Amino acid sequence: MNLAQHSARWYNPDTGTLDRRIFTDADIYRQELSHIFGRAWNFVCHESQIPARGDFFMSYIGAEEVIVVRHRDGSIHVLLNSCPHRGNTVCRAELGSTRSFFCSYHGWNFDLDGTLIGMPNEVDFYRGEFDKSAWGLGSAAQVASYRGFVFATMDSAAPPLDEYLGWVGRLGIDMLAGKGDLEVVDGIHKNRLQCNWKLAVDNLFDWYHVKVSHGTSMRLGLLPEETISADAQMVILGAYGHGIGGPGLKPGQLEALGRRKDGDTSTDAEWFDMQAAWRTQPGVREQLGETGVRSLGHPSIFPNLWVALTNQVCLRIPRGPLETELWWFTFMPTHLTPEQRRTAIWSANHYFGPAGFLEQDDGENWSHSTRGAGGQFTGARPLNFAMGLGQDYVGEDGGQHSIETVVNEHGQRWTYQNWQEWMLAANWPELMATGSPPPDGLV
Amino acid sequence: MSSFEDLDLQAQMLLSYEVEQFLYAEARLLDTRQLDAWLDLLTDDIHYWMPIRRTTTAREVDREFTQPGAMAFFDDDKRTLTMRVDRLGHGRAWAEDPPSRTRRLVTNVEVLAVDGNDIHATCNFQLYRTRLNSEEDCWVGRREDTLRRVDGELKLARRHIFLEQTVILAQNMSNLF
Repeated sequence: MNLAQHSARWYNPDTGTLDRRIFTDADIYRQELSHIFGRAWNFVCHESQIPARGDFFMSYIGAEEVIVVRHRDGSIHVLLNSCPHRGNTVCRAELGSTRSFFCSYHGWNFDLDGTLIGMPNEVDFYRGEFDKSAWGLGSAAQVASYRGFVFATMDSAAPPLDEYLGWVGRLGIDMLAGKGDLEVVDGIHKNRLQCNWKLAVDNLFDWYHVKVSHGTSMRLGLLPEETISADAQMVILGAYGHGIGGPGLKPGQLEALGRRKDGDTSTDAEWFDMQAAWRTQPGVREQLGETGVRSLGHPSIFPNLWVALTNQVCLRIPRGPLETELWWFTFMPTHLTPEQRRTAIWSANHYFGPAGFLEQDDGENWSHSTRGAGGQFTGARPLNFAMGLGQDYVGEDGGQHSIETVVNEHGQRWTYQNWQEWMLAANWPELMATGSPPPDGLV
Repeated sequence: MSSFEDLDLQAQMLLSYEVEQFLYAEARLLDTRQLDAWLDLLTDDIHYWMPIRRTTTAREVDREFTQPGAMAFFDDDKRTLTMRVDRLGHGRAWAEDPPSRTRRLVTNVEVLAVDGNDIHATCNFQLYRTRLNSEEDCWVGRREDTLRRVDGELKLARRHIFLEQTVILAQNMSNLF
């Protein structure tokens, strides 16, 4: 028996019910920063955003600003943006290129790998006895890339990135990276919501809300009915809380969809061209696997990265228990024709982001859900995540495991169950020992 | 392209007045949700664009705004703007149901240049929005508009919007600028 099966402090896996105070409680939030964001491999940027030496991009690990920078030897460093002298920030731009990071307070100067390389009047005032090597910028304990996606963890005990992602996390990134050599398109959509970050994460698995929340987008033709595929859903659950949930094609269906674009210029043909046709190309099935190649779902890389079907990923960055920033990174395969590129960028600009047709209608739902979690009376009442609980089975195809069913809440339950296990584990060794393996059989 | 300064003062005043009155009337249509009438003010080839703005160092301030063709908060043609208006009539446009209340202040209007039928103007704006009981958003920015004289009437042929925000401090931008 593992710890999670014994513990239902906030989330009860037997009933699929959740204590909604996890969305507002300040103590729980502080614990999330240490137990989840402080331990996890956090996506910080894509290598194409910092191609040259000295290029940097300001990102976050949890609620804390980090500088992701390309060093002169080509390596990528993830530095805490805080001078060890008085704590001032040493970088105030969101992106750019620099030779060093210079503190505007007293002039301490840091190399691209964070090493302290200069201090005004070092000999005069510190009498030449200061050990600069001990006073560089703090940095991530581990930095690694998977197919150009740069991740960092503050925890030296975290397993290697490849192992952390596991086949489900890797598949989630492969579903984007498999489209070709990727480059981030200039410009990250950023906006701030008055909601808890987990409600935004939970939503990526939610194919129940689409018809209601995004009804206008469906009527405008932006979301063809069949792309929601309410009756043919596939959920893939991975170690440490990763998952993929959404439409799942039946074996053989992919080839038919991939041929739809021939002679058809309708919106949904374009959609299927973008989502399905590339998967029929040589080598893609081998890379994604028999199950993965049939998933048109939303990958979630725990804790807060969503890989979206619009060639985008979205980070849900906590800015306090009641506030979240959404950051949309948009990727384009370099081989696209100018016309394909325009179409794909149109989709990215118009589906998501604060003015996006779909996303406009999400924010208020999440902020009001957060507000409801903080009520004296409403906050005391549990939330229901029981859709499909105990009614589906994990199957296997080509060595990959998935649940094939109708619209469900397996992905959300898996997220909260893992969230709880991360929160209750004292450290990485304990999490690895007590964390639930992805389920088998009845779920 | 002729310089606005080449016109005599009276012609400058008349043209400025005409441009101002157009922009005020247009803002009123948006504030009062007469969106179909607003669409009628747009040329068929309108480009309506709001780039993403970033904090950069002074040395790299040329990277402050994203460029056309890259990511943007708005990058719309007439068809897309028509979709935005149609959206609001569909009954499930939750971001605007109940409707937000907006008020647009348009100021510092300057005609920059005249090019045949096209008049290039810039203005500052404030868009104030409240919602439900206590939600409040405020955007301040600058616009570069091109007005075109079509059959004697002014139409909006280009609108480029530059906000004074990098991270958008609002749950959405369900409104037009």
